Parts: sequence; C-alpha cells; structure tokens
Amino acid sequence: MPKHIVSGLKYLTAVELIREGLSQKEVAKILEMDRSTVSHYLNGRNLSWNSIEVAEIITKFCPKDFLTLTYALLNDSEKTRVIVKTCSKKSYEASVEESCIGCGLCVDTCLLNAIVLDDLKARIDSDWCNGCNMCRDVCPTDSIKILEVNNGY
Amino acid sequence: MVELKVDQDKCLGCGNCVVACPVNGSISPEVAGGHGSKTEDTIMMVENGLIKLFNPQKCTKCGTCPLFCPTDAIFLE
Amino acid sequence: MVTNTKEVKGKDICVQRVSPEEKRELAYKDDVCVGCGICAKICPTEAIELGEIGAIERTGVDESKISIDEAKCVLCGMCSSACPVDALDLKLDEKSIKDMAEYPQLIKSAEISDDLCIYCKACETACPRDAITIARILPERSKLVTGEIEIDKDTCISCGICEEMCPADAIEMEHHEPTSSDPTVSSDITVNKDKCVYCLICRKSCPVDAIKAVCRSCSYGDYDLNPEDSETTGSSFIDEEACVNCGWCQEICPVDAATVEKAFEGELILNQEKCEACGACVDICPCNVLSFPEEEFGVQGDKLQADERFCIYCGACENVCPVEAIEVKRTAVKHTPTKSKSWEKQLSELKT
Repeated sequence: MPKHIVSGLKYLTAVELIREGLSQKEVAKILEMDRSTVSHYLNGRNLSWNSIEVAEIITKFCPKDFLTLTYALLNDSEKTRVIVKTCSKKSYEASVEESCIGCGLCVDTCLLNAIVLDDLKARIDSDWCNGCNMCRDVCPTDSIKILEVNNGY
Repeated sequence: MVELKVDQDKCLGCGNCVVACPVNGSISPEVAGGHGSKTEDTIMMVENGLIKLFNPQKCTKCGTCPLFCPTDAIFLE
Repeated sequence: MVTNTKEVKGKDICVQRVSPEEKRELAYKDDVCVGCGICAKICPTEAIELGEIGAIERTGVDESKISIDEAKCVLCGMCSSACPVDALDLKLDEKSIKDMAEYPQLIKSAEISDDLCIYCKACETACPRDAITIARILPERSKLVTGEIEIDKDTCISCGICEEMCPADAIEMEHHEPTSSDPTVSSDITVNKDKCVYCLICRKSCPVDAIKAVCRSCSYGDYDLNPEDSETTGSSFIDEEACVNCGWCQEICPVDAATVEKAFEGELILNQEKCEACGACVDICPCNVLSFPEEEFGVQGDKLQADERFCIYCGACENVCPVEAIEVKRTAVKHTPTKSKSWEKQLSELKT
C-alpha cells in the first residue's frame, strides 16, 4: 500500500517537525497537506498504526535505500527532501576534492538537490546530504568524500 | 575496426604495395628497390605471383598501399 | 538514474544527458575535425578514441575520425575546451561552454582588418582550409579612362589595323566585299566607349593618322583623377568553423591586415632517417605545413620538409605517421584562466 506508507512517512515527519517547534500550519504547508489532516495525523487518527511501523522501518534502512524508496513512493523531490532529512537521524560531512572536473553527474544524480556546480567544481550542501553516497558512486574521478558525523545519536 | 585486407582474385602481383608500404620500408629497407624482402617480418609480400599478408598486425592503417594498388586488391575496411 | 544517449548522424556524433537539473549535449562535427586526437588525450574518462585517420583521410574508409563511448563519457566538456579547431562543442541547456567565462578557452584567433585590407585575395588563395572569402568591388573602369578617341572617317582607309591592334576589342568595323555600286571594304567603323581604355595603340598604329586622341583631363595627358574613383572596396570573411588559425593569411598578406593568434606553441621534429616518404602526414596536415619539395624540376622529392610558421602543433601528422618519424612537441597551451585545478592540470598535460 504505497499510499499508506507515504502517510506513515508524513506522520513521522510531522511529529518531528512539531517537536522541532514548527506550528501545525507550517507543517501543513511543508508537507502540502490540509491543516486539519496534520491535526488528525498528530492525534493518530486516519492512520493505521501499521503504516507508521512500516514507515519507521523504512527510515532505518541504509540512507540510499531510504532515500530511493521514499523518492519512488512520492515521486516529488521537494517532499522527498523534507521527509528524508527530517527523519534521518545522522548528519554527514560531504567534501569535494580538487580533482573534480565539474561534469555535473553528481548534480544530476543527487535526489536531495544538495549539489551545485561552482566554477567547474561540485559544491555539496552537507546540511541536505543524507549520506546515500550515490554522488560518490557516479563520480568519474573519485573526488567526493562523505563522512558520517558523530552527533550523539 | 578498420583492417588491412587483400583480394587475391584482383591482385596482379605487381608488388607496388610491398614497395610503397612505409612500415615494410622501415623493417626491410631493400624492398624499396623492388627486390623483395629478405625476411618474413614485413606486413605483406608477393608470393607465387600473389600478394599475401604476413604480419597484418603491424599495419598502422596509414592508407599508403591502397593509393598505389592499380586494382584495389589491397584495401582498408 | 541518469544515462547518456548517443545519436549518430552521418559521421557526426551527439551525446546527451538530460536530467531535471539540466540538459548536457556534446556535439561532434566530423568535417571540422582534423584528426589531432587532443580530445582523446584530454578526456578524463577515456571515452574518446581516435580512429584510423590515415585510412579515413586517404582511402575510402567511411568512418568518423573519432569515436565516443557514451557509457564512459561524463559530458564534462574538456574535449570541447581543448579542441583546437572547435570540432567538439558542449552545450549546457543549449548554451555553449565556449561562451561561458568559468570554462577555460583556448586563446586563438584569426582576423582580417577591413581598414588595412586591400582585397588582393592572396589570403583567400593561400588558406589551406578555404576559410576565407574576400568580396571586392572593383572601381568603375570608365572612371579611370582619361580620354577618348575620335576616328576621322574621311581619312580612314578601312585597313582594319586598329581593329586588330586594339587590346580591348573596342573598335569594330563592318567589313564587306566591295561591289561596283559600293567599291569599299567597310561600311562603318565604331568605337565602343565602354571598352576603350584610351591606350592610344590605335592612334600609334594607324597608317593614315585618322585617329585623334581627346584627353578629358588635360591637354598634356597628365591625370587628375578623383582618388575615390580608383579605390577597390570590399569585405573579408573568415569562416570560423573552417579556420584552424594556421597563420597562412598572416604570412602572405602584403599589408599586414591579417593577424593570427595560435593556442599552442611548440616544435615539430622530423626524423629524416626514419621517414619512408609515404606522404600520410602531408595528406592529414590541416595547415599545409609539410611537403616533399621537388629536388629537380618535375621530379617529386622524398625529403620531408616542414614550414613551422604554419604549424599549429595539433599532432595529427605524428598520429598518422606509420614509422614514428615525426614528433610534435607542445611547449605552451594558451588558455583563459580557470579556477578549476583539475582543468588546469588536464590542459597543461597537453604539453609534451
């Protein structure tokens, strides 16, 4: 039931965003939902607990699987970005070495739109990186390094 | 992949290609005089009146021999 | 997953990568390519391979001079930046990287100054790539003719000498057989004023002094011409796609109107001992640098000679030589600055 899993992922994201201090209105806007639906979600209504469990399992997948599955379910890069980054518990430090040739393959590959080209060199916004390593895998010059940051989780 | 080929049915055995081939010339300088090669190291030679490729792998595909063949019996394809 | 697509049109190749972010398109034009193989040398993913350029250029082998493996190509554009003849062009969302400041560009140019050009067409004739067109408008000939002739028909004996002598075919007689009713050999003599250049050969050769010169400018034949009337005007055009910046136009121009800047500096080293005089290098050279000069009149020589003034150090001759008798050294690769260390490095590795 892809729809139900998406609801579960949105639930988890909504809970996390509220915990971070966002209002229901803001959360509704980010997830492109009605405010009332957000409210229902947070109260555990309109949602089977099973879909939340499945969603929780998905968030614990390896970053690449979590990201690609979420993207496949939503087919929307903006919402994928929010859900994946909000539900990922780990932080990453991405760096690009001077050997980068600026081919843009990583830019085209990154599902989180975290990479831009700057003077023929890729620049990765670590805040948006979820450590999926897909950019590193496509890089023809092995110029990308992604390190997990130990932040206590 | 371009390869050096011969069509013995067309060959007149004139040996123009043997003489013109720059690689032959560097392997066996005497071919320049039309006396034939002293070794079998050259790319091609006339044997029993017909052209035969001995070492086609040495060909650099420079395109010289086809320019001198009167019957298109040696060609790159 | 983003993947490349390749389209081959005749001998031209186009590799594309389309993503929601951007469209990258590498276009290769085979008729522009000179077979130098610099693209293959600079390609960081070894996606480009130089073909058998000797066989392609000299025999009927119907192949592109290079091949591009679309599975290896990452569309970085280095080949496009380094190609000395612009046979390769990478476009990002339809915009060529040759028009983007962040991409390094080879510093090369060829220009003809219309202020200095006298439209002699020497460059047009010398250009080995037929890249130059000189369009010229000649002065109106009649404005440069300073006088006209008059034939005194009463004195004229219709000998026809002037008609035969006239270098411009400006005099015409109406010849006929004499009859008893008209015992003459010609019924009329006319001067075509559009053709007559007032050279006065007719007057000098007339046996009966029937031709009179009438100078329009002055009575002593001293010319007083309007300089504008004698000026040849025109325009010059260099086909940038065909031009390889070889420098023939600059060398041959008698008034220094052509200026050429070359991207590479270097040295062309010929090994006469090894050379077998097959002529492949002469055929492949896009700049007419190499030749086998005649040793005696009418006899093709077999000593390879190079005129380095016209060499662009592209290396096509070295690629095609079957016996390693040519070495092309590149000592400088001039390009616009780039902040990318990897591009800087790859470009400088073109030096040998």
